[in-house]
Amino acid sequence: MPGLKIAHDKCTECRMCYVVCREININAVVVSPTSQHLLEIDDRCTYPKCTVCLMYCPAEGSIVEADTGRSLVPPPPEVWTENRRWPRLP
Amino acid sequence: MHPILKDFLDKWLYPTDFTGPGVEFRLRQTERCLRLWDKLVIQAIRSADKDLQSGSDEYKAVRARAGYAAEGPFMSLKQMSTQILSVEIDEQPKYIDLQRMRARQIWDEVKHGQLHADVLLRGGFIKREEELMDDPRANTQPRLSYFGLTAMFPHIHPLARAAQHYYTESMACLGIAATLSVIDDDLVRHQLHSQSAEEMMHFMEGKYQIDAYALTPEDQKPIEEVFDFLLRPWASEPSRALGGSR
Repeated sequence: MPGLKIAHDKCTECRMCYVVCREININAVVVSPTSQHLLEIDDRCTYPKCTVCLMYCPAEGSIVEADTGRSLVPPPPEVWTENRRWPRLP
Repeated sequence: MHPILKDFLDKWLYPTDFTGPGVEFRLRQTERCLRLWDKLVIQAIRSADKDLQSGSDEYKAVRARAGYAAEGPFMSLKQMSTQILSVEIDEQPKYIDLQRMRARQIWDEVKHGQLHADVLLRGGFIKREEELMDDPRANTQPRLSYFGLTAMFPHIHPLARAAQHYYTESMACLGIAATLSVIDDDLVRHQLHSQSAEEMMHFMEGKYQIDAYALTPEDQKPIEEVFDFLLRPWASEPSRALGGSR
């Protein structure tokens, strides 16, 4: 079970989570094969090791901890500590 | 620093999960923006206070017409459609997500026109949106981008638009938050809340583009040049709908 879940009542389907997750080659955000094409997070999600989608999600409350339902947008300070960051080099 | 700005910075701007020259560049540019963002928040609150004290509902129409002019279909379609063309065919593998974000933004920006028209329709100021086509107040705006340089930025470099996303769209977020802290009218609040969701997304586009793509001096230079342009006093004021004075 993935560590994160999208709360569809808050998500605006902007796709920023999809873009950033793909940028670091984890690819855990997928478009569901339903008529609404909603975004979902699958088993490839490595949360809490990776929290990158939370930093670029613009919709408050739209990504939550799967276990607890706790909102992680905007990201609380404890989820963007230095040791979790991805280096972006030229 | 005003608490509304501090809240925005702590919740949305400072959190990052990347390191490297892009993030460092963004934080340096942020320092340059802070004074004008703070000024905008104070100005937007003052403007909203003045509107409330007017004792008339006319301010709703003034704001909506100004918003329609500055963010509606005329302005937005022209600007966004030029900006999506900034990526050359051979650059598409690198910037395909950037193009998708801009394609989405064309729809978002046009939606502004509907949000402002909705205030005018529901408020009884007009009977049909088409009336706005003949109203100069819904078509005239002081921004240089209508004819000028900001619409042309993307022709300089695919990433140039990131500065406008970062600086100007955050102004929209801040102007909306400041106005919402004062105005209690349901119609205006509905419009502002609707717009706020998308302005935040556009700000995040800028934040992401700079963090992830602006990694070399060559990529940072065109973005910095747009910051230079936007941070000049004569180009910094948002529309009346977002707390500007004009």
